[in-house]
Amino acid sequence: MAQQIVKAMPEVIHQGIVDTQTQQRLERFLALEAALMDAHEYDRWLALWDSDEVLYWVPCNSDEQDPSTGIAIIYDDRTRLLERIMRLKDKTAHAYRPLAKLVRSVSGVLPLSVDGDEMEVAASFVLGETRVGQQNLWLGKTLYRLVDTANGFRIRSKKVMLLNNDDAMPNLTFLV
Amino acid sequence: MTTRIPTGRDYSALVQEDRVHSAIFTDEQIFQDEMERIFHTTWLFALHESEIPNAGDFKRLQIGRYPVIATRDEQGEIHLLINRCRHRGAQVCESSHGNTRRFQCWYHGWTYDTRGDLVGLTGPEAYDKDFKCDAHGLTRIPRVESYRGFVFASVAREGMSLSDYLGSTKPYIDIMVDASPIGELQVKPGVVNRTRYRGNWKQVGMDGYHPHYVHMSVFKIFSKRESTTGSAVGALHLEDPFADVSKSRTRGFPHGHACLDFREQRRPHADASIEELRRSEEGARYVDDMISAYGEERARDLIAWHGDPHLGLFPNLQLIHDHVRVVIPISPGETEVLMYPVFLKGVGPSINEKRLRAHEAFYGPAAAGSPDDAEIFERTQRGLLADADPWVQLGRGIHREEVDEDGSVASCISDEITQRAQMQEWKKLMTRG
Ligand code: FES
Ligand SMILES: [Fe+2]
Repeated sequence: MAQQIVKAMPEVIHQGIVDTQTQQRLERFLALEAALMDAHEYDRWLALWDSDEVLYWVPCNSDEQDPSTGIAIIYDDRTRLLERIMRLKDKTAHAYRPLAKLVRSVSGVLPLSVDGDEMEVAASFVLGETRVGQQNLWLGKTLYRLVDTANGFRIRSKKVMLLNNDDAMPNLTFLV
Repeated sequence: MTTRIPTGRDYSALVQEDRVHSAIFTDEQIFQDEMERIFHTTWLFALHESEIPNAGDFKRLQIGRYPVIATRDEQGEIHLLINRCRHRGAQVCESSHGNTRRFQCWYHGWTYDTRGDLVGLTGPEAYDKDFKCDAHGLTRIPRVESYRGFVFASVAREGMSLSDYLGSTKPYIDIMVDASPIGELQVKPGVVNRTRYRGNWKQVGMDGYHPHYVHMSVFKIFSKRESTTGSAVGALHLEDPFADVSKSRTRGFPHGHACLDFREQRRPHADASIEELRRSEEGARYVDDMISAYGEERARDLIAWHGDPHLGLFPNLQLIHDHVRVVIPISPGETEVLMYPVFLKGVGPSINEKRLRAHEAFYGPAAAGSPDDAEIFERTQRGLLADADPWVQLGRGIHREEVDEDGSVASCISDEITQRAQMQEWKKLMTRG
C-alpha cells in the first residue's frame, strides 16, 4: 500500500484533497476506532461500520492475495463479522480469555481519493500486545473506504495489511 | 545419512499402554533424539506434486533438521536437495518458492542445477585434479516416493516402502483426492496459513474428545445458523458428530497413523449435500461429474464426506477438512503448523471458492477454530512443565477397542485410540536399537 502513497497524484500530497477540518475529523475518527479496538469495545466498534454491506479484509500470504484463488486471515462480510463479534464476546472462546492488553498508535492518515461522500483513506499502525506473559508487536497498514454521514464517518470497507502476513504467526485474538 | 547418538535413557519406561510421562513433551534431550530417531528414520510428508508442476519449479521445506529444496528437473523428476552448499555450507536458496535453472551460492559462487549437480565451480584451476564436481552436488534426500500426488521423503537409506508405511490408510487419502471428479488436487505453495504456538509438536493430534470444550464457542454459533451443510466441520445441523452415540469412530493404524472416521456418520447426509449443490449451476455440474466419474453410489459417499479424511499420518502430516496440514517441530516447546487449503481440479471456481471460505472460517490465526486449539496447546505446555504427578492419561476407552478388517483399531469418537497409536509408534521408534 505504500505504493499507493508513493504513486499518489501530486495534489493528494501537496494541496491535500480534503480541507484541514475534514483531515482533523478523520484523525479523531481513527483515534476513536483504535481506542475501541484496544479496549475491546466490540459493539461500539461495530457501530462505526456502515449499515449496508461491508468488507473487513486482512489478507494472508501477501497484501494482494486474491480471495477467490487464495485464503485470507479475515475476510468478513456482515454476516461473518457479526459471528466474529459474537465469538470475541463469548467467554467460552478461551483463546480470547484473558483478553489481550493492547495499545496502538495510528499515523500517516492520508486521504487518497474522494468520490462524493465516500473517501479512500490510508493509515499505518504500530500495535503492542501483552497476554499471559508474552509481548507481541504487530505492524501494518490500513486502507479504509469511509462514508461521511450526518453522524460522522462510517466504515464501508477496511483492508489491514499486516507486515508479517507471509510469516508464521501466533494467535491474533483481537481486532486490527 | 544421519549418525544416531546412542541414548542412555530408557524411553520405553516413559510410554505405557494407557499413559505417557510428561517429559516427552518438555525435555530438550528427548526432542533432539526425536529428530534423529523419528524424523530422520521414518517417512515424512514433503510436498504435493502440484506445488512444483513445471520444470525448474522449486519450493523450500523442512525435513527433520534439514532445510530442503524440492525441485522439478528438466525431465520432470522431483528431487529433494539439502539446502546447504557443498563448499562451506551456506544456504543456496532463500526464496520460499519459484522457478529457476540454477541455484547459485552467494558466498563464493558455486552453482548447482535443478538436479543438484555442481555445474559451476568458481576458479576451478586452483582445485586439485582429483577434485570431482560430481561428488560435490547438493546432498539428496535418499528416498522419495509418492502416493496420489503426496510426496514423502525418508532420510534413511533403507526401510519399508511408502506403500507399506501408509498401509490401510490409503483409502482415506483417496477420500480427499477423489473429491475431485478428475481425481486430482492442486496445492499452491503461496496459499497457506502459517501459525506458531508455544507447545510440543505431539499436541497436534487427532482428538475426538476435545471439540465440545475447546470449540464450544463454534458449536454455539453453528447452532444459530440455519444450515451448515458443506461447512468446514461437516453437517453439524443434523446431529453432533462428536457424540459417543453417533456413528463417528476414532481409529488407530499401524505406524502411528490415526483417524477420526466420520464416514458412517456423514453417509446419510449425502442427499442434503447433493440438494444444496444442485441449487447452483457449478454445483449441479459437480454432482453430475462426480457420478459419471465414480458411479452413483461412490459419488454419493464422496460428496457426503466433503473430501475430508480427517487422517493423521505420523509424524508430520494431517489431511483435515479442506486442507493439508504439516507439523514442523521447532523445539520441545515450539511448533509451526502449515495449513494448505487444497483446490479440487476439474470443478467450477465457485466450488473452490466456497471451500476457501469454509477453510478460513475455522482455520488460521484469527479464525474460529485454530486459535482455541493453539491456546489449549500452550496451556498444556505450561502445565506439563510441572512434573509433579507427571503421568499424562491416555486410557479413555481402552477396554472397548475393536479390531477392524483393515487392521485398524476402532472405538467411540471420544476414545483416545488415536493418541495411543501415535505414542506406541513413538515408543517403537525411540527405543529401536
Ligand atoms: S559456501 Fe557456497 S560457494 Fe563457498
Ligand atoms: Fe481442535
